[in-house]
Amino acid sequence: METLVQSLVSGILTGSLYAMIGVGLTIIFGVMRIINMAHGDMVMLGMYSSFWALTLWNIDPFVSIVFWVPVAFLIGMLTYRFLLKKIVPAGELNTLLYTAGLSLFVSNLALLVWTGDYRTIKLDYAVMPLRPFGIAVPIPLAIAFGMAILITALLYWFLVKTDTGRAIRATSQEPMAAALMGVNAAQMEMLTFGLGTALACGAGVLLAPSLYLYPTVGEILVAKCFVIVVLGGLGSVQGAIAGGLLLGVVESLGAVYVSVPYKDAIGFVIFLLVLLFRPSGLFGVGKS
Amino acid sequence: MKKLLVLALFCFSVLFLTTPAMSYDTLKIGAPQPMTGSDAPFGAKFKKAYDLAVEEINQAGGINGVKIAVVIEDHQAKNPLAATVTEKLINQYKVLVLTGGRASGQAVEIASVAQRLKTPYVVDHPSADIITSKGFEWIFRNNPTGTIYPQAFNKFISETPGALPKSAAVVYDNTVFGKSIANSAMAFLKSKNVKIVNDEAYPVNTLDFKPIMTKVKANNPDYLLMVAVSTTDAILLTRHAKEMGVSPRAFVGFGGGFGVADFATELRKLSDNVFSSAAWSGNPNDPKTKAFYQKFEKKYGFHPKEHEVEGYAIVYIIADAMKRTKFTGNLEKDRDLLRQSLLKTDMTTVFGKVKFGNWKGPLGDKYTNQNIYSPDHSVLAQWRDGKLLNVYPKANAEVKAVFPDPSTKK
Repeated sequence: METLVQSLVSGILTGSLYAMIGVGLTIIFGVMRIINMAHGDMVMLGMYSSFWALTLWNIDPFVSIVFWVPVAFLIGMLTYRFLLKKIVPAGELNTLLYTAGLSLFVSNLALLVWTGDYRTIKLDYAVMPLRPFGIAVPIPLAIAFGMAILITALLYWFLVKTDTGRAIRATSQEPMAAALMGVNAAQMEMLTFGLGTALACGAGVLLAPSLYLYPTVGEILVAKCFVIVVLGGLGSVQGAIAGGLLLGVVESLGAVYVSVPYKDAIGFVIFLLVLLFRPSGLFGVGKS
Repeated sequence: MKKLLVLALFCFSVLFLTTPAMSYDTLKIGAPQPMTGSDAPFGAKFKKAYDLAVEEINQAGGINGVKIAVVIEDHQAKNPLAATVTEKLINQYKVLVLTGGRASGQAVEIASVAQRLKTPYVVDHPSADIITSKGFEWIFRNNPTGTIYPQAFNKFISETPGALPKSAAVVYDNTVFGKSIANSAMAFLKSKNVKIVNDEAYPVNTLDFKPIMTKVKANNPDYLLMVAVSTTDAILLTRHAKEMGVSPRAFVGFGGGFGVADFATELRKLSDNVFSSAAWSGNPNDPKTKAFYQKFEKKYGFHPKEHEVEGYAIVYIIADAMKRTKFTGNLEKDRDLLRQSLLKTDMTTVFGKVKFGNWKGPLGDKYTNQNIYSPDHSVLAQWRDGKLLNVYPKANAEVKAVFPDPSTKK
């Protein structure tokens, strides 16, 4: 019983961060139809930002997120404006290839500058976990969980309640009609890409104290990301949250009750099953 | 007259070309090592060790007047690349002999190429049994094999009263190295009727060991044995085991990851009292080895361990064989002559005694050209306050073992 609860808790904690990364990817796809292969590398950059903030300026990762997220937001907007905007009208396949190239460029640049060494973040308060009811809850992961929920909730509120949020959703549902209603689609697209990048980078900052970082860590994360987003339904924010949590729990239970080497395989089996029975994902809107 | 001159010239040139000259300006030792990528810290360790030995030997007059050099090629800890750079070292750089490799996966590749291209490969650190149990006559090994690593631990649990585990969880990486060590440890435990409650393999560079440790904790093992070839795995295994609250009487690590300084700097107090059963770093109570430790520390500013001692010793073993070889200048012939000299090696280095022979390992593997003194070269050490100190066998112990682990209350 304790084992079951422990694996559920671990799964949900990790899943919340998966969800945060997934939401970033899904809004970018929803609004611009960009399949962003470089999303994992944004997470990687977030992890390194967090690492350098701690080692160079001695700023706690959970504090440094306050300025890294706006920085990433700006970088995201600039990336869209100067690198991606022209390629978007050329179709999804082109953006896929383009962002894949961008991903290779970013990760290899990181490899060149920061070398392939594995690095970890050492926090004094993170040595021993909390143990409520005998369930181990690692402190950095617990803080990251809290912040991920907060950020995702804020984003959700922004999308549902504010005018800009509504405009983003409108653009996502029907760009032409939104433009006719006076929504500045180009601005919304830039904004969304910024938001997506900020979410990815923020998740990276939060993940860094629990994982170790190296320049190609994005590869693992981006594969998981696509599973999450497709699982939940491409373009659906609720779907990405549900998909992230589901993948986290499935991996954790799979590793405990089946076998560790198969934990990724189990994630993909669930992925295939969902697609088989619900081709547009759990929360899919069934749009072409 | 002119014809005669041409003939003379021809004869002269033939004579000149075939003159058996000692035509090596340096005697080259090739060493494929990971200089970039996740294993780069190990490549750097070996480079320092080789450099020191080469410098000493050359200062003392080299090999009968000829200088030696170690040519390092980066294999990035990738198996296919290890094979490629080995061929490059043999064919392009024309090295006489190979060493290095760092990890077993890469060493297996290097060994196959060396055997095929008839170049001696004197292994300094890779420990999978298979490297010297394929019957390859071109492959030699100074360090103990993986199945010998747990020997010191085995002795400790059988000879210390009350230390025999009631049950054990075994977690290991699914590499050649991980599997051979885990099998060796489990075979011994089973022979002592110790129940193995977990038998878990994981892929190298796993990011999250919490699920495995959750599973381990559920079985509440008396001992937790962990095998990790990679340092990051060793660190995360230990960290996640302690985070999840696994509380055995002893945490025992096997393999490179548990023996490097990073283990303590990353884990800090979590590393305290974790055991590491591995190849030894020479006998710390031996004055010659002690002198080497001091010299090394003075030059590089850190205390040499297993890897540095092995790397330093191997250059001396190769140099000793080179001194006993009459080189002809014909590379292929010289490689074979050097191999025959290696067969007659019988010396003592800072790593201990060495003599290559054919014998049977703990799991029945038939070794070829494996150091016959290897069974004495395994040691059980324990992390204390950031330092890895030998605790067993008593002959080369530096301190007494802390056991059971005081951080885990039963």
